Amino acid sequence: MSDVSFSVERGERLAIIGPNGAGKTTLFNLINGQMLPTSGKVFFWGQDITHMRAYSRAHLGQARSFQLISLFLNLSVLDNTLITLHGIKRSRFQMLRPTTAYTDLLAKAREILSPIDLWERRDELVRSLSYGEQRRLEIALTVALEPKLLLLDEPSSGLTSAESSEITDSICKLGRDITVLLVAHDMDLVFGIADRIMVLHYGKVVANGTPEEIRADPRVKEIYMGIEENAGNTTAT
Amino acid sequence: MTITKIMEALRQPWQLQLVRFTPHMVVVLILAILPAVVPAYVQGTWTKFVIFALFALGYDLIYGHVGLLSLGHAAYFGAGGYTVAALMLHYNMDSLWVGLPLGILAAALVAAIFGFMALRVSGMYFLLVTFALGELLYSVTWNWKWLSTPGMQGISGLPRPDLGIPGFTWNTLSFYYFVLVVFLICFFLVHRIMNSPFGHALRGIRENESRTQSLGYNTWLYKYTAFIITGAFAGVAGVLFVYYNRLISPTHVGVATSFLPMIMVIIGGSGTLLGPVIGAFVIVFVEYFASLFTPERWPLILGAIFVVAIMYARGGINIHLSRLWQRLINRYGSTKV
Amino acid sequence: MELLLSSLVNGISFGMVLFLIASGLSIVMGLMGIVNLAHGALYMVGAYVGWTIAVQLKLDFGLAVIAGGFGGALVGLLIERVFLRRLYKQPNEQVLLTYGFVYILSNIVIWVWGGYRRLQFTAPALYGSMYIGGMPFAKDRLAIIAIGIAVAIALWYLQNKTRMGAIVRAGMDDKEMTMGLGINLERVFTFVFFLAAFIAGSAGVIGAQLLGAYSWLGSDILLYALIVVVVGGLGSVQGALLGGLVIGLIDTFGKALFPQFAMFTIYLAMIVILLAKPSGLLGRKV
Repeated sequence: MSDVSFSVERGERLAIIGPNGAGKTTLFNLINGQMLPTSGKVFFWGQDITHMRAYSRAHLGQARSFQLISLFLNLSVLDNTLITLHGIKRSRFQMLRPTTAYTDLLAKAREILSPIDLWERRDELVRSLSYGEQRRLEIALTVALEPKLLLLDEPSSGLTSAESSEITDSICKLGRDITVLLVAHDMDLVFGIADRIMVLHYGKVVANGTPEEIRADPRVKEIYMGIEENAGNTTAT
Repeated sequence: MTITKIMEALRQPWQLQLVRFTPHMVVVLILAILPAVVPAYVQGTWTKFVIFALFALGYDLIYGHVGLLSLGHAAYFGAGGYTVAALMLHYNMDSLWVGLPLGILAAALVAAIFGFMALRVSGMYFLLVTFALGELLYSVTWNWKWLSTPGMQGISGLPRPDLGIPGFTWNTLSFYYFVLVVFLICFFLVHRIMNSPFGHALRGIRENESRTQSLGYNTWLYKYTAFIITGAFAGVAGVLFVYYNRLISPTHVGVATSFLPMIMVIIGGSGTLLGPVIGAFVIVFVEYFASLFTPERWPLILGAIFVVAIMYARGGINIHLSRLWQRLINRYGSTKV
Repeated sequence: MELLLSSLVNGISFGMVLFLIASGLSIVMGLMGIVNLAHGALYMVGAYVGWTIAVQLKLDFGLAVIAGGFGGALVGLLIERVFLRRLYKQPNEQVLLTYGFVYILSNIVIWVWGGYRRLQFTAPALYGSMYIGGMPFAKDRLAIIAIGIAVAIALWYLQNKTRMGAIVRAGMDDKEMTMGLGINLERVFTFVFFLAAFIAGSAGVIGAQLLGAYSWLGSDILLYALIVVVVGGLGSVQGALLGGLVIGLIDTFGKALFPQFAMFTIYLAMIVILLAKPSGLLGRKV
């Protein structure tokens, strides 16, 4: 990445788009702490978090979903939920009380899992869920922590259009006290949610503006046209 | 199992109760009653089995739950054992109440030092480093003369522990029950740890460390703590072993002993409570029988069992047994307990 | 002065033996991602086979070296084809499996060759010393150093100047891509494994002049090889060579200067590296 500078307002929904390899996931890794930048700084609500470890950033209020589903496949739905909920609580160091003793968290888990029809199946292993169900669970868990900043990396990849519009709806319903950064290829999702769109290409910011501005921007068209042309060359007409 | 759960369970129809509790009853029967009715030499082997079950159970925390393969684990076993032995050799201190805590402390300390170094690297390097550190301790026990009764390698002639109870003397059976009590305490602790938020976090780390980190867990700290806890349990096993064997030598700190908890956990089933216990049972008793017929070929047999277990019995015996029980439960009752 | 010189020669020749084993281990680990703990046992098998050829059958020592190489290679290939192949991408299981084989092979060696005595043997042509600049040097040590250098050059050439070497290095960086280029990586793997095992087995015979052969040699030499890999760095001939020489010299001088604490010098080296540069002197980022 080079020379990427931008800021996000509280409550804003910023979508980051661009061709594969443009550096979108890298950007998330820098914000969330999986990678450290070679130069430049990251500020979170005025605080310099450039060198802060990933696990501390969760306590500041970041929550992230990953491009490849990263749920704990060999653990049950309930276990996944409880581990997520304990992450920012002091009780996460507790070695002697069983997790099920924390009835308030158990109730919260029920609140999270019931709307997505997973409370009944809470003892099933996550790997036995369908891909769509896993995605839904992952998004629900990421949102459940009521973070200040939500980082969603390709939340609708691999989903059917019906499932995608479900995701779009649930993100729209989120309150304006949560700021959302979204990486996506699904344009319906992007235009359905975004207040602003930023376009990355080869690690640089190419455009940054409202959806209408981006739609009209010739440089953006060129990037995507170029890709379509290449795709066109390989398909028979 | 909490009180409420037990009460709830007791209200179920008796057939379901019988099937539900049979595994537990069988285990209680085997552990508590059987040793009283068998000859003394079997009692001895039984004691050994319980000691190693404890060793394996502790080991499973770092292997089954965190997913880290730590070689050279006999180092912590040996640290505990040698501490107790050295206390007796040089200070005539045979009190249990001094020996056991100091042994555990020594083992935990060694684990803290070794773990710190080993966790600086990951993957393959972690394996190599834990192996080398295990060998380091083996060298220490071989070369440091203070750790040997003069004229031999290791410390011998050790007495049973002094409980501080006037007029009390040990016999094979009472010693077994003592070991069993310690084992049950540790078993309970491991059970608690497994089900706690800490234990869940360990499994999260095993499944996907990145995600666990982004959820807010300082994964290094969890791995390190788990490593030390595992070392401490190994130390308990080491202390008990010295009381049982009345002799400790460098071989008990070597590659062969490091091997044992690994193979027990693999055969019995990792990530569960009963798995390591079953594995310990199998290995200790197979060794006993092998030593009666082919003592020289025992390492070969052990190695072969190991290879077979890795290739074919991946989930461990525990998985197969629990599937069997599931089928029985399903046949006799459909309500979930 | 003489002590210094002979320690130097001992250290370098021991280091060369370590290099021979560690090079195979390092490339196999770096390329195939397999921690083959039985690699040391292959060395041991080679040593025993070589002993049978050279001492029992009183045949040519060179033949013994080759026979040892094939001995090691055969056992190694057996383990790889029948067992390791099925454990693709399961590093823990691979480690455990090969650890089990160390056990098995140690016991088989006792069974077949009997007893626990250490068998030390030297090539008849290399008995005694030769004089260079008025100072005596043991001939067998010099021969080991010469062989080590020759093999190092050959392997380095293989690694950096041949197509095979390029494939191996590419495979280490990006397996999928290499396979995607239509290269039969599996055949390359098998060849690399064979080569590593062969070198280990012949090293067993060559090194027997220094170390001899005994039933727990498999795990002893494994320990040294592992420390060499940690110190020198994974995945390259240079790393194995540097690591081997460093450890060989540290160990030899350690034993000469501090006989009480002889064993610990190499652990100290490992600990220093772990604290200072965990990926090893010439290794890539871990």
